[in-house]
Amino acid sequence: MEISFTEKDLQFRGQVRSWIKNDYPAHIKQKQNNGEKLSKQDIIDFHKALSLQGWMGYNWPVEYGGTGWSSTQIYIFQKEFGLAGCINILPFGVGMVGPVIYTFGSDEQKKRFLPNILNFDTWWCQGYSEPGSGSDLASLKTKALKEGDHYIVNGSKTWTTLAQHADWIFCLVRTETTEKKQEGISFILIDMKTPGVEVEPIITIDGEHEVNAVFFTDVKVPAENLIGEEGKGWTYAKFLLAHERFGIAVVGASIRQLNILKDIVAGLKNPNLERKITELEINLNALEMLELRLLSDLENGGHPGAESSILKIRGTEIQQRLTELFVEASGEYALIYPGPHGHSNNQPAGPAHAAKSVSKFLNYRKASIYGGSNEIQKNIISKYILGL
Amino acid sequence: MNLNYSDEQQMLRDQIQKFCESDYSFEKREAIIKSDNGYDKDLWKMFSELGWLSVPFKEETGGLGYGPVELTILFEEFGKVLVVEPYLSTVVISGSILDNSNFSNKSKLIGSITSGEKHISLAYIESNQTFDHSSLSTTAISDGNTLIVNGMKSLVLNGGNADHIIASVMLDGEFALVLIDQGLSGYSSNSYPTVDGQTCAEIQLENVSVPSESIIAKGEDAINLLSEAINLATLCISAESIGCMTACYLKTVEYTKERRQFDQPISNFQVLQHRMVDMFIETEMCKSLLYKAMLECDSNEPTKFKSVSGLKSQIGTAGKFVSQQAVQLHGGMGVSEELLIGHYLKKLVAIDSLFGNSSHHLNKYISS
Ligand SMILES: Cc1cc2nc3c(=O)[nH]c(=O)nc-3n(C[C@H](O)[C@H](O)[C@H](O)COP(=O)(O)OP(=O)(O)OC[C@H]3O[C@@H](n4cnc5c(N)ncnc54)[C@H](O)[C@@H]3O)c2cc1C
Repeated sequence: MEISFTEKDLQFRGQVRSWIKNDYPAHIKQKQNNGEKLSKQDIIDFHKALSLQGWMGYNWPVEYGGTGWSSTQIYIFQKEFGLAGCINILPFGVGMVGPVIYTFGSDEQKKRFLPNILNFDTWWCQGYSEPGSGSDLASLKTKALKEGDHYIVNGSKTWTTLAQHADWIFCLVRTETTEKKQEGISFILIDMKTPGVEVEPIITIDGEHEVNAVFFTDVKVPAENLIGEEGKGWTYAKFLLAHERFGIAVVGASIRQLNILKDIVAGLKNPNLERKITELEINLNALEMLELRLLSDLENGGHPGAESSILKIRGTEIQQRLTELFVEASGEYALIYPGPHGHSNNQPAGPAHAAKSVSKFLNYRKASIYGGSNEIQKNIISKYILGL
Repeated sequence: MNLNYSDEQQMLRDQIQKFCESDYSFEKREAIIKSDNGYDKDLWKMFSELGWLSVPFKEETGGLGYGPVELTILFEEFGKVLVVEPYLSTVVISGSILDNSNFSNKSKLIGSITSGEKHISLAYIESNQTFDHSSLSTTAISDGNTLIVNGMKSLVLNGGNADHIIASVMLDGEFALVLIDQGLSGYSSNSYPTVDGQTCAEIQLENVSVPSESIIAKGEDAINLLSEAINLATLCISAESIGCMTACYLKTVEYTKERRQFDQPISNFQVLQHRMVDMFIETEMCKSLLYKAMLECDSNEPTKFKSVSGLKSQIGTAGKFVSQQAVQLHGGMGVSEELLIGHYLKKLVAIDSLFGNSSHHLNKYISS
């Protein structure tokens, strides 16, 4: 057994660190350091900077303009970005629809969509969930009926992250009513500017606008926007789920948060809280090591599958626990409403991190719900690993 | 032994329940929160007319002479619909301090509380993070018949609406509670919304000159008045939490029976059934601790502080568990601002932060 990275991988890590140190957009870093809210343009700027470096396709093969990195390199890249507190790379384009297009799309589609993803000229959002179909995604009802060389789409999607900024949405739609509900589902790309597409904000308990309801009324979508074969959408969606394995444990970001928390708590003389933080640190060590075990498996020809559900469950539990401890470290100042300060522009007294801590605590309740809820992840483990 | 409410208590409960069910819809609450004062003056007046603002006060001072049991009845019901009216700060905390004091002007002040005319807030927190409010930097220096007060108070519940505050000060080096009018020169306040839809304020006192008759109590007396009031308030918000937790499990049971996934109500899934059972059990355990603490407070047992700490410590962890699971079992709907369910989580975060969080009370329990 051997736990260290190779010389080459360490060199690669140095490169990543150096980019973060020298080339990460300074205006974004400054805003993040000051705890300011990032604008849409900041997020675009970050992705553009990444493109410029040629790292946007960090998980793509070289032939489609990706980096062709090994699993270890992808792991190092994501970990370092997390540790440094970089903005999250939006998964919808490069992590989700991109791989589906280069794996199942036509040459025409590859030419049309892939470069825009790598340049971040198109902001993608994910239209899977519907009001009636969350965990049971295959029951989705949004219909796409073929009429000549178009599909007419009717229905609605919900919880669509950042759809308010998106140029395009990739959707699972029902093109046929079949006995087995998975079989009538297709994967289609829709321009958000098409007449009949409407986006309505959904405000979450942290007071933020991050998710939306998206409505489709007689939306005319060119048939060439359908990916692969009609009725195969479910297969593509499942492929996509298996594709994003690492990163869901967000170990890097959690280690960073843990260290920030330790600094805050160092001055508080609160042994109870210190104990809880230590317990969390041990859990985080376990998660980090589990991720490395899966990585090693992958690099040595294995095919880890449902194990990634453990990463999702424990990763989000740790993320959520961290936010709870930040709130605890805020003491009484956790009382102040984290949203925009309605009545006054003055910052209230108390620790600087307090309002943000509560806001994040509330926001991160989502982590155990989205991307396949933690209950669903446990169903997967019990079925595919324990054989129950 | 009889752990049931008396007829009179049951009547009070029915009355409050009826109000909460028919006059405090989610939409109404939202509108109240967005209004300028952050509470509904008409409802406050109605509370007064129904006698609710007189509940804890002694009969000599014009109250109904009820005690902790009646207060917890009220707060449990308030918790179910998340009432934002400032009952805690004005009636429970300031009311308790005044009612138990020998303050010369107390009857008049209590009268102004029960009639719904005035709000009084306790200002005892200064900016620190440790729940320890005995070391103060706010000072009051005697100068003939007046006191000159200087300092800054933080997290004053309903402070923006307060006509007077009761401020903790070091009065010529001794701990004291002093009544200060909001209109005095050198008094300024800055109001903030709280996470649970109420408001609190930061209050700056700059060479505020108050008459020396404004001293409510000094030394041991002042310390005792403060700890009695905070203990009672802690009991009340614990009852409020139990109202929240009860609503959380009831609403979750209802939701999971209606929400269908995989061609069946999600309440069919045993893992969710057990989760809801755990939510229910946690609520019942907290309610049992509430009964213990409430009865000890009612008969003024010396153990009442310890029992309230035990209760508050459990409320912190159980409340978080129950409300987080309520959100989790609602899926995406749980994190939507448009549903009451996520607001229970916010309320329970606020309550955990008030008067000492779970760890703080665990320590207090150990050392008492
Ligand atoms: C902040 C946020 C962002 C999101 N972003 C997107 C996005 O960009 N695009 C998108 O398509 N979707 C998005 N989603 C939707 C997300 O994927 C769904 O919320 C998730 O799949 C759960 O579905 P639901 O909300 O309908 O809950 P439901 O499926 O109704 O589940 C309710 C509860 O029942 C449990 N449950 C359901 N079935 C079972 C079972 N068989 N066994 C045990 N327990 C079960 C669940 O775990 C949950 O606790 C987002 C959600 C959130 C909260």
